[in-house]
Amino acid sequence: MKRRKFEWGYLLLIPGVGYIMFFVLASLYIMFAQSFGFYNYTGTSEFSLQFWQHVFSRTFFDDLWFSFRTALLTALISIIICYPLSLILQRIPGRKTFLSILKIPMFVPALVASFLIVNIIDYHGVINMILEKLRLIDEPLRLRNDAAGIGALSVQIWKNVPFQMIIMYSAIEAIRKDVRDAAANLGANRFSILKEIIIPITLPSALVAVIMVFVRTFNDFAISKTAGPYYPTSISNLMYLHAYTFADWNTAACIGVMMMITSIAFVSFYSYLSKKIGN
Amino acid sequence: MATRLIVNGIDKAFDDFQALSNVSFTIEPGQFVTLLGPSGCGKTTLLRVIAGFLEPDQGEIFFGDQVMNEVPPNKRNTAMCFQSYALFPHKTVYENINFGLRMRKIKVEEQEKRVREVMEMVDLVGLEHRKPYELSGGQQQRVALARAIIVRPEILLFDEPLSNLDAKLREKVRVDIRNIQRSLGITTVYVTHDQAEALAISDVVIAMNKGKIVQKSDPKTIYNHPSTKFVADFIGSANIISGTCLEAAGSTAVVNTSLGILQVQNTGLIQGDTIFLCIRPEDIVPDVSENVLPDQNVLTGEVLNAVYMGSSLDLFIRMDTQHIVRASVAKDTWVSEGSQIRFIVHPDKICIMKG
Ligand SMILES: Nc1ncnc2c1ncn2[C@@H]1O[C@H](COP(=O)(O)OP(=O)(O)OP(=O)(O)O)[C@@H](O)[C@H]1O
Ligand SMILES: [Mg+2]
Repeated sequence: MKRRKFEWGYLLLIPGVGYIMFFVLASLYIMFAQSFGFYNYTGTSEFSLQFWQHVFSRTFFDDLWFSFRTALLTALISIIICYPLSLILQRIPGRKTFLSILKIPMFVPALVASFLIVNIIDYHGVINMILEKLRLIDEPLRLRNDAAGIGALSVQIWKNVPFQMIIMYSAIEAIRKDVRDAAANLGANRFSILKEIIIPITLPSALVAVIMVFVRTFNDFAISKTAGPYYPTSISNLMYLHAYTFADWNTAACIGVMMMITSIAFVSFYSYLSKKIGN
Repeated sequence: MATRLIVNGIDKAFDDFQALSNVSFTIEPGQFVTLLGPSGCGKTTLLRVIAGFLEPDQGEIFFGDQVMNEVPPNKRNTAMCFQSYALFPHKTVYENINFGLRMRKIKVEEQEKRVREVMEMVDLVGLEHRKPYELSGGQQQRVALARAIIVRPEILLFDEPLSNLDAKLREKVRVDIRNIQRSLGITTVYVTHDQAEALAISDVVIAMNKGKIVQKSDPKTIYNHPSTKFVADFIGSANIISGTCLEAAGSTAVVNTSLGILQVQNTGLIQGDTIFLCIRPEDIVPDVSENVLPDQNVLTGEVLNAVYMGSSLDLFIRMDTQHIVRASVAKDTWVSEGSQIRFIVHPDKICIMKG
């Protein structure tokens, strides 16, 4: 095999890639070190597994499960909503306007979104008011900070459907009309076109949409803090609590490492799946 | 079993651009018809209307005596070979070709047999498991062709199916298409840019221009008796000249043209008519004899260029009137550029066109 010549052009990448890599690697290093007791801001810095022992507690697993469940449900429910929505939007007139309206949640910061929706689902919020007026309920329902996390889930879905819509809409739009026409021409009815052409072609995009929303939601802080239950809470929130409320940065670092591992596991699972679908 | 295709008064506009205007024709059961016309004249649009992908603004499509306007594309029993190929990107060559049979719920053994046959025909054996992006342009085109032919529909629609193949393969596949079409008696509309191809394989040629049908005739007629300047020019090469009728009596007429005074056949001309004449390059014959027959048109000019075409020699001749004429003569004719040449055009070979 021929030895490859060193490509000087790579040096041009240093300002951009270098900047990003420096902070990524530096913070990863510190996080790892902290999780094993180094860089301790409040006590002695030395190797220790005690912080990991803190982490593997009931609270941690409850919170991990809460984040995981919310993320998975958000990703799946959103895609179930937005797949058919993207299909329908392709064929209705005035779709440009609809699309723009649907994109609004994307540009609303998570915290603001949460506050807005909280106002609607609050104890004295709009929904409870209407239900009471209609005499469907005797006293207000607890929709916000409810133990099941439905409040947080609703905000997440509201925020993530548009995000997935953009991915799915362009994936479906990218299928050339000729290709669908060809299928119809060869005898495929609407259902067959969906099953044979549209879904298989857009499946990789749907996977991307699901994984991206999963990772976003799994790592979410603001929405679970405002609209989610008080216990369990999200894993990011737990990390925040340890770092700022208990001033225990080392345990926070352990949680950070766990979040990274989960995200990486999910992305690897994704690339495994997409390879499998590709073949 | 074969189906008659009737296209009746079809109009189709895109916004305010009229892509088809009042297109009407009938194709007899089992006939092979080519649509010939310049780019953008509406050929693809017409095929899409027939296949049902586009709704016409006006007019009807009949398959036999059934109006098809309300019938969706998947119920029309046509098969179209797309100009853009429109292959299914996620399916293999085999799955692409097989698709129509699967949708028609043909038995699996029958499917396999037919796929094998048609793959042999278009020379794709061995590529069954490739995806379209792993194929060359010509191979993709052959998949598109195979995918359409295999379903043996009532009506086959080809949109320039061979444009990307090399000359040898094109000729072979063209003959194969024609044989299948004949043996199954499938009514066929075939779009091509290639006028030689159109003349070679069609029962009927339809010439289109700017969304209108200009002429519909058998290949011989359309070549020898083009009805308009456009057809004469588009099909084959032609010397088109304008002229005024000086005298029309009996079977011949005398016309004053930019080449000089010519005798032509009298096709009901009246003195003073302004007309166009079409002379095919191969109908211009170099004259080497001394004695000139009285009923011939004899002309002289200077050979500007002599271009060797392989099967013929093409001469560009400047007449005394400065008009340049193209002649196609036997390949072993000896002429030198810059020399004077005398040639004959028989009156029968001059085609007269109005406007
Ligand atoms: N969807 C469309 N929207 C607007 N204009 C269109 C559309 N489809 C076709 N046209 C226009 O209609 C005219 C006819 O198009 P068509 O595709 O039928 O041409 P064609 O004869 O097949 O040309 P070519 O030989 O280049 O394939 C063109 O001028 C084209 O620009
Ligand atoms: Mg076309």
